[in-house]
Parts: sequence; structure tokens; C-alpha cells
Amino acid sequence: MNQGALTKKDRARIEIAVRTVDWHLDGRVPRARRRQILNELRSNLIEAAEQVGSQQAVRQLGDLKALANSYLELYRGRFDIRAGSFWAFITYMAIQVLGLALFIAFRAGVAAGGAHGASYSFEFWPGFGPFAGTVSASGNTFEVLIGSPAHILFVLVAFMIGSSYRTVFARRRT
Amino acid sequence: MAQENGAHDSQLLKGVLSLALLRLLAERESYGYELVTRLHELGLTEVQDGSVYPALGRLERDAHVTSRLVASSSGAARKYYRLSAAGYAALEHIELAWQSLVRALAPILSTPVPAKPKEALP
Repeated sequence: MNQGALTKKDRARIEIAVRTVDWHLDGRVPRARRRQILNELRSNLIEAAEQVGSQQAVRQLGDLKALANSYLELYRGRFDIRAGSFWAFITYMAIQVLGLALFIAFRAGVAAGGAHGASYSFEFWPGFGPFAGTVSASGNTFEVLIGSPAHILFVLVAFMIGSSYRTVFARRRT
Repeated sequence: MAQENGAHDSQLLKGVLSLALLRLLAERESYGYELVTRLHELGLTEVQDGSVYPALGRLERDAHVTSRLVASSSGAARKYYRLSAAGYAALEHIELAWQSLVRALAPILSTPVPAKPKEALP
């Protein structure tokens, strides 16, 4: 069955499939290799769609995530930027949550101490962070640290470990 | 190995996909979708496109095939694969291994299956 020329809908369907695979490879496979994979996949999908229709062509690919995983097994780069970003974000959020908890505890301490008419501050490792805060005696105004050299250091370390631990473990297994 | 309904075991197919691709590419240079249709024409209709394309990538990574881009009428360039010298050597090696396996299995499969005991395990 030759379906002939493709409609915009067919091309959109093919592009969605290609982009879905791309989404799984993004940040994990080197860019040049990723472009080659996607160009070949698109070319084969167009060819298939002209023969059997775009819907069937995409269906014949099977599970797109499994397909992307097969490519990942083959072409995974040294660094997984996506995993690194994820762990950097988690680390930043963990620091912030911990900082907030410290701040709440400090504010409770100030209130319990019966402080009057002044602002009180605390700071771990002055000038380096990551925890510092100021609270007024009434508790109406407060400041917490959202960025510091320590934040940057922790986030960078988390990114480095998060983006490369899979490569390290893979090397150990072999 | 065809089952009663003509379907093939997907795990068996996965194991011999490289052999089938190397054999088809030894016949002539081909691109991804063409190889899929050739496999389907040979009766291996369960082979999914999504398993053939990474398998070709694996053959290329192992230097068993080389590739080149050729412009096509559909717009996107086709990536044609052909067997390399290492690919011919690999094909010969895998074919021998396959034939050896078939020979080893033949005596087992040629004997009739004994009658199933009445209290057979499920």
C-alpha cells in the first residue's frame, strides 16, 4: 500500500515521535550523535509513512522510550547533564529547606528569649554560607540566604557527581 | 523457529537479529526501513522497526558496517549501510556458530517428546 505524499498531520505525527525520542536522549547523548540518530529516524519514519501511513509507521517503532533506551545503551556520553541538573536542583532545595528549618528554630529561640526591639542574626561560616538569617524581635521581618559561595560549591559538586556517577559505575562493572 | 500460529519468539529473534541484518547487508547495501521491509518479506513480521535501527547502530559501532548518506526523493537523506571487511568476518563467525548450535540442538529436537506424565508440573 503506497500512501504517497505526506500531509502536515503525518509530518507532525512523525515529528512528535522523533521529538519524544530526542527528549529521552537530550543531555545524555553528545549533540552531534543525537542529530545523526534523529535524522536517520526521521528519514526512516517518512519512508515508512509513505508506504503504510504515518500512524502505522510510528506504531511499528514500538515503545519510543525503549527505542531511546536502546540508543542510550549505545551512545550515552560521559556526562549525563540532565541527571546532573536534577541532583544540583535537589541539593539546592535541600540546602534551602535545611536553612529554612534553622531559621524557624532561630526565630523561635529569639521569641522564647523574650527579645525586644532589635534584629537578631545568625550565620554559619561567615561570608561563605550556606546558612544565615536575620529576624526582628517581633518576627515580622526576616531574611534568609538564597545564594552564597557554599551554595555554588554544593550545587557544583552535586552536578558533577550526578552527571558522572553512572559512567563511573559502568566502568567498575566492566 | 516458527510457532504453531506462525509467530516467532521475540527473544530468539533478538538473538539472531544481528545475524539476519549482516546476511541481508552482505547481499546488498541497504537503509533502515528497507531492511525492515526485507525482514518482513522473509516472514519475520514481528521484528519492529524500533529494534532494527539501534541494531544497525550497534553494528556500525562495532565496525561491522559502514554507512553513507544518500539524498532521497522524500526529503530526508537515507543512511545506507554496507558490510565492512570486519562485518564479513563477523558474519562468517556468527553463521558458523549458528550452524554449530543448530547441529547441537538437532538430536534433541528430533527425538519424540515423551508422553506427559499424568501428574505433570504446571
